[in-house]
Amino acid sequence: MAPKRDFLKGSSNSLLLSLLEVQPMYGYQIVKELEARSQGYFKFKEGTLYPALHRLEKSGLISGQWQMLPNGRQRRYYSITARGQAKLALEKTQWQDFLTAVKLILQPGPSSP
Amino acid sequence: MTPEFIQYLTRIKYGARLEGSEEPGVMNELEAHMEDKLQELTESGLSEAEAIETCLGQMGSTKLIARQIYETYSQGSWKQVLLASMPHILFGLLFVLNWWHFAGWITVLLLLILATTVYGWWHGKPTWIFSWLGYTMLPVLAVGILLLYLPRGWSLLTLPLYFPLALWWLFRIIVQTTRRDWLFSSLMLLPLPILIGWFLAVSPSGKFTQASVQRVYDLAPWIGLSFIALALTIAAFIRLRQRWLRVALLATSGLMTLTLVVYYARERLNTSTFLGLMLVMWGVFLVPPLLDRLFRVRLQTRWRLREESATGSKKTA
Repeated sequence: MAPKRDFLKGSSNSLLLSLLEVQPMYGYQIVKELEARSQGYFKFKEGTLYPALHRLEKSGLISGQWQMLPNGRQRRYYSITARGQAKLALEKTQWQDFLTAVKLILQPGPSSP
Repeated sequence: MTPEFIQYLTRIKYGARLEGSEEPGVMNELEAHMEDKLQELTESGLSEAEAIETCLGQMGSTKLIARQIYETYSQGSWKQVLLASMPHILFGLLFVLNWWHFAGWITVLLLLILATTVYGWWHGKPTWIFSWLGYTMLPVLAVGILLLYLPRGWSLLTLPLYFPLALWWLFRIIVQTTRRDWLFSSLMLLPLPILIGWFLAVSPSGKFTQASVQRVYDLAPWIGLSFIALALTIAAFIRLRQRWLRVALLATSGLMTLTLVVYYARERLNTSTFLGLMLVMWGVFLVPPLLDRLFRVRLQTRWRLREESATGSKKTA
């Protein structure tokens, strides 16, 4: 499914920031949430999620924190930063403009020539 | 953790070549993900073997993950650029400003190199340390040259002791550095052919005479320029993310700087010396990856033996 993979590659930052905007999450939870919210459309090699998360963290768009669970296991929770929220707001606007333009071409209105 | 998971994570660890301070966090996170996944799969009714196979399949190729992690962490900051290129800049300035004949400056520079290298070596071996490490071979080379000045009998007695010891020390450093990343070994050794080239250009007999001093004066701007070229190479190396670009940069810059040495010292270096220097330069780029390959083969053999012994004990049980 190359086209799906390409979509995901180009929009992975926006998708991850959108998920983390709702609540802080750890890697495995992000995979599950992404799969559930896209109704199975977005499936990818799960190991590649971490380099993407770490890139966002290095850019200061998200921040990660280790938390100890009652069973002794550790998990790294990621949350969106103020810079990440600003970036997400910008990307959402760009997506909206893009979708509107695509819609105008794919579903031309009655006034279109 | 299962042996399959250990192998999988070790492959990623080996390919990602992270600094000591970053590695545990990244690997623990991947491990936690795989444990969660395995638990979910076994709870869904899969056998342990099926769950492990499915989990590894869904995690993705170790090469791809390792490459992505490498590219995320490989780019150094501008502070690291400055630290890494500093020894080359200092050596360049030593010649450009003609300070090389002041023993005091050379002593201060060598002490600074030793102190910085020791500090970096014991503080997680950050990327910038490897350009300093290459210059710690200078005192060893200097000892070898000084031995040539001993009375004839003493030179013959001490040199057979010196060569194995110096080579052993050099080999130990290369092995330690290659275990971190073979590319850092090449980076560390990069000035070696350049230094040997300039040394042979000013002093073909190996002994430093009055004529050699005059030749250093004549060649000083070009010697300085070659070190500045190395400094620029290291600066670009630290900022690049992609591994193949780093390899290409080191190879191109090393060969070009050596060509610069040979061009400006052409009356002093004959064809066989030039070919010898080219061979040393190729050694700088080929020996570390070959050593790295040897380490990997050993690691894989160890895994295979462990797997065979585990299978054997299961059958016996």
